[in-house]
Amino acid sequence: MELFFDLQLTSVLFLLFVGFVGGLVSGFIGAGGAFLFTPAMMSLGIPAIVAVASNLCYMFPKALQGGLKRIKYGQVDVKLGAIMGLSAVVGVISGAIIQMEIKHALGNAGSNVYVSSVFVVILAILGAYALKSAWKLYKLPGRQDDKEHPINKLSLWVQSIHIPGTMVYFRSIDTKISILFVLPLGFAVGLLAGTIALSGFVGVTVTMYLLGVPGLMASATELMIAFAMGIGGTIIYALNGFVDISLAMIILAGSLFGVQLGVVSTTYAKDYMVKIVMGVLMILITLSLCFKLPVYISDMGYTLSESTVTILNYTSFTILLVALVTGTIIILYTFFQGRRQSAKALALAKDEQAIAPISEPEYFPTSAKQLSPTGRFEKIMLVTDNSGFSAAATREGIRLAQRTEGYLSVMSVVVTNSEHESLARELIEKENHEAIFDLETVKNLANEAGVDCNVHLRRGIEIYQEIVDEAEVNRVDLIVMGRRDYTGFMRVIMRSSTAKVIGYAHCSVLVVPKTAKIEGKKILLAVDGTRYSDTAASTVMSLAKHIHSSVLVISITAIAHEEKRHQDSLKEVKRIESFLSQEGIDVEGKVLSGNPADTILEFAKAKNVDLIVMGSHGHTGLNKMLLGSVSDRVIASSECATLVVKAA
Amino acid sequence: MTKTNQANAVIITASLGFLSALLYLLLYVFKDIIWSISGQGGWYFIVPISIAFIMSYIHGAFVNHFWDVLDIKPNPMRS
Repeated sequence: MELFFDLQLTSVLFLLFVGFVGGLVSGFIGAGGAFLFTPAMMSLGIPAIVAVASNLCYMFPKALQGGLKRIKYGQVDVKLGAIMGLSAVVGVISGAIIQMEIKHALGNAGSNVYVSSVFVVILAILGAYALKSAWKLYKLPGRQDDKEHPINKLSLWVQSIHIPGTMVYFRSIDTKISILFVLPLGFAVGLLAGTIALSGFVGVTVTMYLLGVPGLMASATELMIAFAMGIGGTIIYALNGFVDISLAMIILAGSLFGVQLGVVSTTYAKDYMVKIVMGVLMILITLSLCFKLPVYISDMGYTLSESTVTILNYTSFTILLVALVTGTIIILYTFFQGRRQSAKALALAKDEQAIAPISEPEYFPTSAKQLSPTGRFEKIMLVTDNSGFSAAATREGIRLAQRTEGYLSVMSVVVTNSEHESLARELIEKENHEAIFDLETVKNLANEAGVDCNVHLRRGIEIYQEIVDEAEVNRVDLIVMGRRDYTGFMRVIMRSSTAKVIGYAHCSVLVVPKTAKIEGKKILLAVDGTRYSDTAASTVMSLAKHIHSSVLVISITAIAHEEKRHQDSLKEVKRIESFLSQEGIDVEGKVLSGNPADTILEFAKAKNVDLIVMGSHGHTGLNKMLLGSVSDRVIASSECATLVVKAA
Repeated sequence: MTKTNQANAVIITASLGFLSALLYLLLYVFKDIIWSISGQGGWYFIVPISIAFIMSYIHGAFVNHFWDVLDIKPNPMRS
């Protein structure tokens, strides 16, 4: 068997370019790039059936990554995804069998004609629809896309039909629908994917408009269906030797670079511009295929003069190139222009902050404010994630800023997940809106409590990285955040963002579990004789004054330790006890024996402590993984809030 | 991004880039063998599927970090 595609340098470079542009466009418009990839591959002489098969193979890993994330976020209607996915697999297999029969009966020429014809019809409809939407958005800017929750007549009719014995409840629409509607829809979507590798855009539209599934869940559920179709189609085509993995991986190499840039660019674009790019490209590709179609037909035996074929080929390829280059220019221009304007706006906002009048410093009843940077709570950064896990942190962050008369900034992180989000662009928008709404809610709460506050929304791959960066940029004194309660194996594999923030942040971190409340009853300071403990003691001194709390100082020695170690610990506790009492704080010291983390937790519970304070040794990376840390274990299991103080 | 974090990010990106490039090199060198194995039918369909999974994962991770290191991020002013 010969390779379908000879790896010539020019062809590889062209495919990398096609992959990049296809990815760029798919990230920008929020749909798969198959409508570009398949015709472009065919223009290089790759048989349509191989182009479709290779596209399906390239598609499914992305859909899996995106789908798993959406399942975790509860955005996937798993039952609907499973039922439609199964029928879509039957559809994709049927589409593949039809393809293979056509190829068997009419050769590559027949297959090319079949795929091109289907493409022309589908792309003409979708392109016209996209341009119509663009026009509506342009005329009425700010109008919510009616896809958000399309309770239209058709979906209401589908939901109203009751066929006994076939009704199934779907949580995404909170009602029952006859499976006799769901199965054929899944089959049709699969059939189209098996024929031209186009799935996401059609699948989402069908589930929204015909079944009435809200946009967010429709696009998330579509990822599950796309995965099922992708893997089903790849298996059936691979079994018959039509998947060219080299081809698929070259497209993948370029497209992954493009997708992320496209997803980023779309945040700088106006909504109608996204639709225009989509519509124009689809119409241009349709036009390109219209010129190519007679050539494919002539390959089946209908004569066309050589010059006519040359002109048609040349025209078709030129239009294809124009489509690719036009798409690239518009998207990159949108990105660079938007980025420049955004940078200007940000600089202006910073200038305004810089020239704002500086208020007179408030009286502070100790000299420690100037002497101990770790005891400062002037800039407090609260991290919220719109979940019950950060509710207590929100409350305590605001209260702490209130007590210390500090400045509060509230931040949230939306995880950008690059390529797979391109299949569901509206998910990013939805997450952004939810996060902004949540931030504004917290800001209002803070303002009501008399705390000055601003909000920041960041987007990035790693939550902890964004939190640490935001803290660095704003030079915050303290990060306040919640804790997700993982247990057992999940705790090992889902090492929380909280633990990572503690590992990498340069400022102190206050972790507030969802049931914790800092009432100013008792602060427990755990010391171990290092300079980190001294820093923690300075912080406790400042904090105890702010919240009018008494302090318990403990040092823990292992049972096996010698008497000398015990005496050293006693001296250490006395030293800190004396330091705190000189500042007028009610303090009591103790040396305990046992496992450090367990002893701290047990003692805190027994003494009804509402805040544990510890110094951080600052292990990061491999050290942290190998050595672990007492603070990590205390934070993971403590019922009360824990403050980890970083050494200055 | 602090200098340490920036350095870590560059190291991670470079490692993933190297791994990705290595996988592509292997795919190129062994393309004929992979093609002949994949075309044997039956359970050999696992071969292209596994390659697609692995390369998508590694190359995807590399690209994510690549754009992040270059500070190509969504519009911070968009609300």
